[in-house]
Amino acid sequence: MCAAVNMNFKIRRATKEDCKDISRMIMELAVFEKMPDQVKTSHEELERDGFCQNPLFECLVAEVPEEHKSNEGFTIIGYGLYFYTYSTWKGRSLYLDDLYVMPEFRAQVSPPPVQASVTTAGGNGIGKALLSKVAEVGKKNQCVQLRLTVLNWNTPARDFYAAKGAQDLTVSSGWHFIHFTEQSLDDLVNEAPKD
Amino acid sequence: MDFSIRPANVEDCKDIARMIMELAEYEKMAEHVKVTQRDLEQDGFSKNPFFHGIIAEVPEQHRTKEGHTKIGYALYCYFYSSWVGRAVYMEDLYVMPEFRGKGIGKALMRKVAQLGLAAGCNQMNFTVLEWNKPSLDFYFSQGCFDITATVGYHCMRCEGEALERLAQP
Repeated sequence: MCAAVNMNFKIRRATKEDCKDISRMIMELAVFEKMPDQVKTSHEELERDGFCQNPLFECLVAEVPEEHKSNEGFTIIGYGLYFYTYSTWKGRSLYLDDLYVMPEFRAQVSPPPVQASVTTAGGNGIGKALLSKVAEVGKKNQCVQLRLTVLNWNTPARDFYAAKGAQDLTVSSGWHFIHFTEQSLDDLVNEAPKD
Repeated sequence: MDFSIRPANVEDCKDIARMIMELAEYEKMAEHVKVTQRDLEQDGFSKNPFFHGIIAEVPEQHRTKEGHTKIGYALYCYFYSSWVGRAVYMEDLYVMPEFRGKGIGKALMRKVAQLGLAAGCNQMNFTVLEWNKPSLDFYFSQGCFDITATVGYHCMRCEGEALERLAQP
């Protein structure tokens, strides 16, 4: 597929009405990450959690005009979901939970046969625009760090973030992500000490 | 040993700042700590706090050589996972070395888990350095999974000049 050069798109704050599309894209991303069975949230939960008085997350969406809609007719074609967190070393931070652009809008131009492309760009810049907007939001709120996780086999994503100056703390310092599921969390809480 | 676990208040920030530095020294990264007692007071105890704290305290008769009775802490935030919803992220868990092995770390972690579940969380997450075998063993004994080792998640961070450049429109 050829790149749609100079594709018109905009990045804006998600509204409650976008949750169906966000939910659709969450599943697309989970399918890509080979873990679709891990997705338990519905669009109703996103509406409740993201658009209440004290939202648990914020979200940006990438939108294209009607004439560039996807093959299935979608105009919401990317999203970035993030929330505020804290580093006891550095202070206020943002955590980027998801960043996703539908494959047909990444529009990678095939590299010319003689010379490899020097960057992963050649797409429409939608992913970069989403990421920049998230960083801008963080800056406005005095956040000094942006954190995220990436799967080790997801080379395009790792290259994308490395090109933006992100450090891989697992590789550089040996940080591992540890996780309690709901069951093991329940077990921990129910195992009360004998007084 | 008698000890109590309670939510942190703004007066605890001096001790929390002290213990943050002790933990960073143990992790061989003390030079990375920029947060001050004042930052903790502003960021943790305002109308929309960025984090919550739990303190482990011992009675006066068990105070440390330097006179401290606040001898452990846990600091946590609420995460959101697009897959499971609200989750609790335990940013720090620390007990002063002379008070370890008495169930204080487990009690702190259990309190965070209780508060997380009460707030509707379905998961608790944190990071640990791969060489920190005592901590890893402790966490695995509580039923945790290392999703870096098992699934391949890498922790990424963007800060300083790189973040400034990214934030430019």
